[in-house]
Amino acid sequence: MKGKVLKRLVRWISESWMMFAFFACFFLLWEWSIDWFEVPQYILNKPSEIITNSAADLPRLMQYTYITGLETVLGFVVAICLAIPIGVAITFSNILRRTLYPFLVSVEMVPKIAFAPLFISWLGFGLLPKVIIVFLVCFFPIVLNAILAFGSLSQELDRFSQITGASQIKIFLKIRIPSALPQCFVGIKYAAINATVGAAIAEFIGSDQGLGFYIQIVTGNMRPDLAFAGIFLLTLLGLGLFGIVTFVERLMIPWHISQRRG
Amino acid sequence: MNTTIQIQGVSKSFETDEGPLVAFGPADLDIKQGEFVSLLGPSGCGKSTLLMMLAGLEEPSSGKIFLNQTPVQSPRNDIGVMFQESTLVPWRTVLGNIELQLELRGKRPENFREQIDSLLNSVSMKGMEKRMPHELSGGMQQRAALCQALIHQPQTLLLDEPLGKLDAMTRENIRGDLQRLWLDKKPTVVMVTHSIEEAVQMSTRVYLISPRPGKIDKVVDIEMDYPRNLAVKQNPRFIQYLADIHSVFHGYGVL
Ligand SMILES: Nc1ncnc2c1ncn2[C@@H]1O[C@H](COP(=O)(O)OP(=O)(O)O)[C@@H](O)[C@H]1O
Ligand SMILES: [Mg+2]
Repeated sequence: MKGKVLKRLVRWISESWMMFAFFACFFLLWEWSIDWFEVPQYILNKPSEIITNSAADLPRLMQYTYITGLETVLGFVVAICLAIPIGVAITFSNILRRTLYPFLVSVEMVPKIAFAPLFISWLGFGLLPKVIIVFLVCFFPIVLNAILAFGSLSQELDRFSQITGASQIKIFLKIRIPSALPQCFVGIKYAAINATVGAAIAEFIGSDQGLGFYIQIVTGNMRPDLAFAGIFLLTLLGLGLFGIVTFVERLMIPWHISQRRG
Repeated sequence: MNTTIQIQGVSKSFETDEGPLVAFGPADLDIKQGEFVSLLGPSGCGKSTLLMMLAGLEEPSSGKIFLNQTPVQSPRNDIGVMFQESTLVPWRTVLGNIELQLELRGKRPENFREQIDSLLNSVSMKGMEKRMPHELSGGMQQRAALCQALIHQPQTLLLDEPLGKLDAMTRENIRGDLQRLWLDKKPTVVMVTHSIEEAVQMSTRVYLISPRPGKIDKVVDIEMDYPRNLAVKQNPRFIQYLADIHSVFHGYGVL
């Protein structure tokens, strides 16, 4: 067991050391070129300064990460809970496929972020407008992929199910849901990547807390070092969400993951 | 013997952009209970289409089909079908896939332990129960699919190129398994194939289907004893059957 883990670690290092070396070079170059080109503090800082300066502002950064994280997760979870059932309903209802589906496809063309100022003006500076904007950003990729997922059962599996005489509900539970899961996760992962973008932009537009608000304020105060700290935490938030989704995917459809590797 | 399958003036055409396309027929045929019948023809001649009409999964454009004395009007659950493309689901093991057939039919897998075991045994798949489909070779997948199609012990079996996509050696092997299963329970089998050798080795009767649109204009009764193993291929009669069928397809211009 231990030997196996060690072996995997060694292989991982031998496969990815170049990537790490590249990252290291990038940051070293950044560190040196600030002095070399005499870049002023209010334009850009060295990576080392960014770390030490932001450590001083850590409590505020943590609190804002929590707030932005809450907005992101709430919008994302509500989007999943609504988009999947709506996707299923559209797949199986002829009426919805002719009405709601084209409507959703047209709304998908609209950049959802453009609604952000309106929602802020309607609902104020609080949590709700941000959650709604994150929801809008996440909802469409999930619902469109769910429609694709539930609508593309292979002809063989469809016929196989029919010939058994099983009820539609049984076929749905035993065949349709598991076949649809991989494609559903494609949409959910795409949404996870974009969720933090939605939250940050919503906060840029109208907010008195959160990482988006923070980045905007410190930039105004000519503190690019702190802006970078905010950007870093925002990235971490996005990665965390994506990581959780990937983990859940692994739990729910291990057969799909292992197939992909092979 | 009773007639299990009756096909009367059945044809099928599909609507396409270039107008209606006749995919099969019209054709008549009678298949008796316990026979092993092959539908032999080049690809695209409508073999799968005919099989799907027998199963009630495609509606004939004209004509009537009877199965066990009742007209085929909707998907029939009193038969077993092995489809041309795999119906093994990737999220279940070999055993789970076999059980899926039972679960969908509202049967309890626990009551079929012995049947599952003996079926897996008869296709040399013992010990593979816990494997996932993607961990199996093409031949093993085909064997697992065969078990999945047979586990509810249907008296009528429709097999669409059950040994397609396999290498020659594996084919030979599974042919033997399939023949043993048939001799054991004597279900009525309708097998689609485009291998002349396979059709002759397995069948009591071979229907030759002409190229597009497929029509049945020749029937060859194969009068040789079972079991027909590798040695049968040296039999002069076997060689004669091959030559006869060969010349028919040569006449169609497909060989
Ligand atoms: N759903 C369909 N729509 C249009 N054409 C079809 C459809 N299904 C089959 N065909 C056509 O019917 C013909 C016979 O198909 P098929 O029965 O699959 O042949 P085979 O199994 O003998 O290879 C082919 O030319 C195929 O393109
Ligand atoms: Mg076919």
